[in-house]
Amino acid sequence: MLKYLKRYCDILGPSGMEDEIRNAIIEDIKDSGCEYEVDPMGNLTVFKKGKKRRDNKVLFSAHMDEVGFMVKYIDDDGYVLFNSIGGVDRRVVSGRRIIFCESNTHGVVASKAVHMQTPEERGKCEQISDMHIDIGARSRAEANEHIMIGDCATFVPNYTEFGEGLIRSKALDDRFGCAVLVDMINQDLEYDTYFTFNVCEEVGCNGAREVAHRLRPDIVFVLEATTAGDTLGTPKSKRACALGEGAVLSIADRSTIYNKELLETAVETANEKGIKWQYKNVVAGGNESGEYQRTASGAKVLAISAPARYIHSESNVLSVNDMQSVADLAFAINERSFN
Amino acid sequence: MEKLYDIVENFTQYPGVAGFEYMAFDELTKYVKSLNIFDEIGTTPVGSFYGIMRCGKKNAPLILCDAHIDTIGFVVTEVCEGGFLKIANIGGIAAKILPASEVNIYGKETIKGVFVSKPPHLHEANEYDQKMNVVDNYIDTGLPLEKLKSIVRVGTPVGFPCKLQRLLGDNLAGAGFDDRLCGAAIVRALMYLDKKSLNVDVAFQFSGTEETVYTGAMTTAYRLNPDKAIVIDVTHAFVPGAPKAREGVKAGLGGDICLSPHTHRGFTKFAIEVAKKEGIPYQLSSAPGATGTNSNAVQTSRNGIPTLLVSIPLKNMHTMSELVDMKDALDTARFVAAVIKAL
Repeated sequence: MLKYLKRYCDILGPSGMEDEIRNAIIEDIKDSGCEYEVDPMGNLTVFKKGKKRRDNKVLFSAHMDEVGFMVKYIDDDGYVLFNSIGGVDRRVVSGRRIIFCESNTHGVVASKAVHMQTPEERGKCEQISDMHIDIGARSRAEANEHIMIGDCATFVPNYTEFGEGLIRSKALDDRFGCAVLVDMINQDLEYDTYFTFNVCEEVGCNGAREVAHRLRPDIVFVLEATTAGDTLGTPKSKRACALGEGAVLSIADRSTIYNKELLETAVETANEKGIKWQYKNVVAGGNESGEYQRTASGAKVLAISAPARYIHSESNVLSVNDMQSVADLAFAINERSFN
Repeated sequence: MEKLYDIVENFTQYPGVAGFEYMAFDELTKYVKSLNIFDEIGTTPVGSFYGIMRCGKKNAPLILCDAHIDTIGFVVTEVCEGGFLKIANIGGIAAKILPASEVNIYGKETIKGVFVSKPPHLHEANEYDQKMNVVDNYIDTGLPLEKLKSIVRVGTPVGFPCKLQRLLGDNLAGAGFDDRLCGAAIVRALMYLDKKSLNVDVAFQFSGTEETVYTGAMTTAYRLNPDKAIVIDVTHAFVPGAPKAREGVKAGLGGDICLSPHTHRGFTKFAIEVAKKEGIPYQLSSAPGATGTNSNAVQTSRNGIPTLLVSIPLKNMHTMSELVDMKDALDTARFVAAVIKAL
């Protein structure tokens, strides 16, 4: 899993621009003996034959896209007005480095110097729509030689080991899920299994909806990064989950009440195999599970997540052991027949 | 220009949060010596570095070029459970730029940290209406407490790493350009000069603690005892949303010569004439009150020193992504060299 992770994280792929990350994944699975297909929306779906068939169609899902930014307007002086693709806390944007996906033009999100802020402005952060990106252009014409309205950008690639046993990078949400799936596809599987690498999760799970419709899975496992609130002073009851405590199993979030039977199976499997796991203890956030659960005739869903600090910023921080726990649990659970 | 880039690449990589300038001294001294410009190099107890270039003439007047070596940053105030660090800021920093940003922690070894960003499920209903204080932010090191304690203690300085990135044209993003960039511009200026043909000796002081209390400039100017001084700092280049009165200084139009009661009017006017004569681009600004630079500290040293202030326009000052048009830095270096030559 780790061998794919850096390369995947460093690829620029905000929602709607997943071509490069998808090609990298195809490169890594094409010799695994799987069948794969890219649908009109850009989702990459994979079927891998196992030793046995099972009655239920089991699907493992991760999303390829990351949060990013899109150019809305370039003003007379060459400053770029923009907004976020997906949910980004405005306080992780101001002053940051970004890179445009097509032209690889670098930019800086302008931050009005503290000295020039009015007493009213001090301590507050303007909305992203009131910020601008500086690419060093002095006019719209100069800027337009490099970028145009609608161009997309992401945080600058910065994958690095951090602290003790941690990784810090942009886009670990959900390139880590992609890396786990690629790892699974490249192993010999007990049962026939479907996999999907989806587009556009960050802007409303549009990819998953389409995949759910087309594949009609019976059982879906969503591999995701989920917010860890285990920072200083947060009471245990509000942490959601904690780094280093293992794979996260959710009971419910804002989009899904997870299938009890799958949850129990996951707990049982984890305990049997000695895989570290934890419950997500707040009802917050959401992921593609909701779409799988409610599309067409519905499906049984479960999210297996890795706890992530500072998700949707340039500094997603995840634990290598937690990611491995997610991978181990996903693999172990897929050895079950689900009949 | 490439020479200037080289110096900037060097000068911006040393730590040196205000009060901790000594952390830069060893590498800085080594590098500056390799440039072979100065006849004398030294450091002071108040965090300044200096070099003196002698013209060889007896009783030659001494011209001082000042930039400050210290940068804004933070200092650890508490080492906490879970590997977190509480901090206080050194120098003015906007809280809005901190969450999820990367920092260097200059403990027994230099380690990486990330400012904590509050997860959405812990946001309050009026989250963005509330004023943020820098000191309410804290740093995640990802290290177990015991290990962290063996590296970091209360008082350990923390700063933004300087990741240089060229943008379009000669625009360059980085951290600590305030004021390492100006130190680089001074060194570049001195490289333009043939010291034997000068009528003056020239000193470069890279002063400590400008971002806090100006003591480096005060004491180093006292020690060097110059006849005239040129203070080089950064100034705010106009950006959208800045006050209208700041429209006069823009990136790409040259160094900004400042008229102020805290500088010497006669010397300033003389310098403007030099710029005109030499065809060096410059801009003008005024500071009726404090200049926010070392100019006052230098000007009032000993019996008073006629002082000129020139500044390099900078965007996003005091952030991890300060932005300069290097043409402005080079024009400022040319200007400083021309003024020294004209004395």
